[in-house]
Amino acid sequence: MSSAAAPTSRLVLAPELVRLGVRLLAVIAIGVALSLLSNAFLSPVNLLNVLRQAALLFFMASGLTLVVITAGLDLSIGATIGLAACLAGTAIKATDEPLLGVVIALAVGGGVGLLNGLMVSLLRLPSFIATYGMLWVLQGLTYTYMAGSTVYGFSPGFRLLGNGYLLGAPIPVLAMGLLLLIGTLFTQRSVWGQQIYAIGANPISARLSGVPVKRRLVLVYTLSGVTAGFAALVFLARLNSAEADVGGSLTLPAIAAVLIGGASLFGGVGTLTGTFVGALLLTLVLNGMNLLHIGANWQPLVTGVIIIVAVGLDLHGGRRRA
Amino acid sequence: MKRSITTMLAAGIAAAFTGHAYADNETIAVLTKNQTNPFFQAERVGAEKAAQAMHAKVLQYVPTQPDSIPEQMSQIDDVIVKKPDAIVMVPVDSKAIVPGVEKINAAKIPVVNITDHSKGGDFIAFVGLDDYTIAKETGLAMLKAMGGKGEVVIIEGVRGSLTAQDRLRGFQDAIKEFPGVQLVASQTGNYQRLQALQVMENLLQSNPNVAGVMAANDAEAIGAMDALAEVGSKALIVGINGTKEAIDAIKAGKILATGSYNGFGQGCIGMMIAIRYLRHEAVPSNVTLPTTVIDKTNLSAYDVPLDQLNCPTWDQVAK
Repeated sequence: MSSAAAPTSRLVLAPELVRLGVRLLAVIAIGVALSLLSNAFLSPVNLLNVLRQAALLFFMASGLTLVVITAGLDLSIGATIGLAACLAGTAIKATDEPLLGVVIALAVGGGVGLLNGLMVSLLRLPSFIATYGMLWVLQGLTYTYMAGSTVYGFSPGFRLLGNGYLLGAPIPVLAMGLLLLIGTLFTQRSVWGQQIYAIGANPISARLSGVPVKRRLVLVYTLSGVTAGFAALVFLARLNSAEADVGGSLTLPAIAAVLIGGASLFGGVGTLTGTFVGALLLTLVLNGMNLLHIGANWQPLVTGVIIIVAVGLDLHGGRRRA
Repeated sequence: MKRSITTMLAAGIAAAFTGHAYADNETIAVLTKNQTNPFFQAERVGAEKAAQAMHAKVLQYVPTQPDSIPEQMSQIDDVIVKKPDAIVMVPVDSKAIVPGVEKINAAKIPVVNITDHSKGGDFIAFVGLDDYTIAKETGLAMLKAMGGKGEVVIIEGVRGSLTAQDRLRGFQDAIKEFPGVQLVASQTGNYQRLQALQVMENLLQSNPNVAGVMAANDAEAIGAMDALAEVGSKALIVGINGTKEAIDAIKAGKILATGSYNGFGQGCIGMMIAIRYLRHEAVPSNVTLPTTVIDKTNLSAYDVPLDQLNCPTWDQVAK
């Protein structure tokens, strides 16, 4: 049933849904286990906290998902967040204009993404190298600019982006839902989205079928940068501060979330919903370890095992071979 | 003839006034761990100030990738080629640095060790503070303010790092001195603000009655502070490092205290020892700075921007 030929939307969804289902099952299994082991887990406050923590990771991973679908990788997202957050934060502190900070963060993110996209599409640099080099450039700029200092103390209005609640749900969670909706519509229901999948599956045949590969590549990297810029704003609001290395420690977890969610480094597959489930899984594991008081020395081991099992389940349980 | 006698007299008088047996303008290389932690910036500024006061020049070496061992090792190679008169260094890793120090010793460049003990090699002196003692003193300050009873949570540093282990032991030993205090959770925040915030958020679910939080560094303390503020908790919080943000938080009454690491002082004194050694003056082989717990009562002395701080005088150091 699953075919390697150019997919219509229906064919793309069916095997994807199965794999998504397997992952969702893994998340539910962990959730059930945690609710049995800890009575704090199922409280609405804890669940909303988990969703909010996952949202931060999801924002970083959302644009990255598109890049991975094209068989690329964006290693610079963490550093982009650092630079965007520091510049936006400094601007807001200097002018008292949160809107200026928003513009700066998105512009910096988009600008970095654009440069990455141009390096990959025009200069034909492998995405790993291009974004890795960009990572160093950005870090250098941010560290020199901040010189070890922290910018902190933002207005309560601005902080609502990270701490506020609307209709009983944390605002980052609502933003995540919105992004998920828009992103899924984009990837699954628009021509551009289908073209991005085609590029990942087979760039040569995509080009021969008339897909403007270079322009779409620039688009996905720019989107990756813009979502990183947005993530920077949420970090700024949530942490009430910006330091040079904010976001750096979340680059690998973001990549992990995308891959756990079902995207492949070889391109052509992956969904934002999958990335959401991947982000949720990683966040649940940390939440569980805190609630169960699992010591720091064991945490990396537990995290690694769960990741391997979750992905292994998918590879051998979910995927059907025609 | 006359001119040269006058010159010699002038030089002699000048030498008598400055009391230096050797010429000024020594070059000292300073190696620190990273550009991201304000603590090391304070050390660099301290070293520069001391050098300026003693008429020496400073070369700064900082890894571009924070805490990168290979980078520091290659910087050591660069330094040896440049042949400064002396070196003041904070090793990124106490064990990995040893071959590097041995190379410096072989090149016969005198070197002063500050902040983190290197596990080998010859140094003129060590200047630093004791992680264990700072943590214990800071922890005790919080437990006393808690009235010696209640539930306490520890937010640990980077699992496996020496500073984190020593601070954890310090916190744990402080708790042992108050039998009315109960340690309900000890989780790691990896010295990161965001992780500490999220970990504290999670812990508040299983331990809502926390009365005190001991954080291994200020970034974690502030992350925990935000999480506690969200639920309106009145728990007391302490951190370590004495960063500006922590001091502002103490002023605002949001955290109780922070253990001062005095990076500025370490930079100053390390540099002073290096230069004095070069000038054949007496130097101690070990300077352990006194531990200070900064809280509301004494923070005005610490609430000063870096560039306005002054290095201690040598008499203050030598006591």
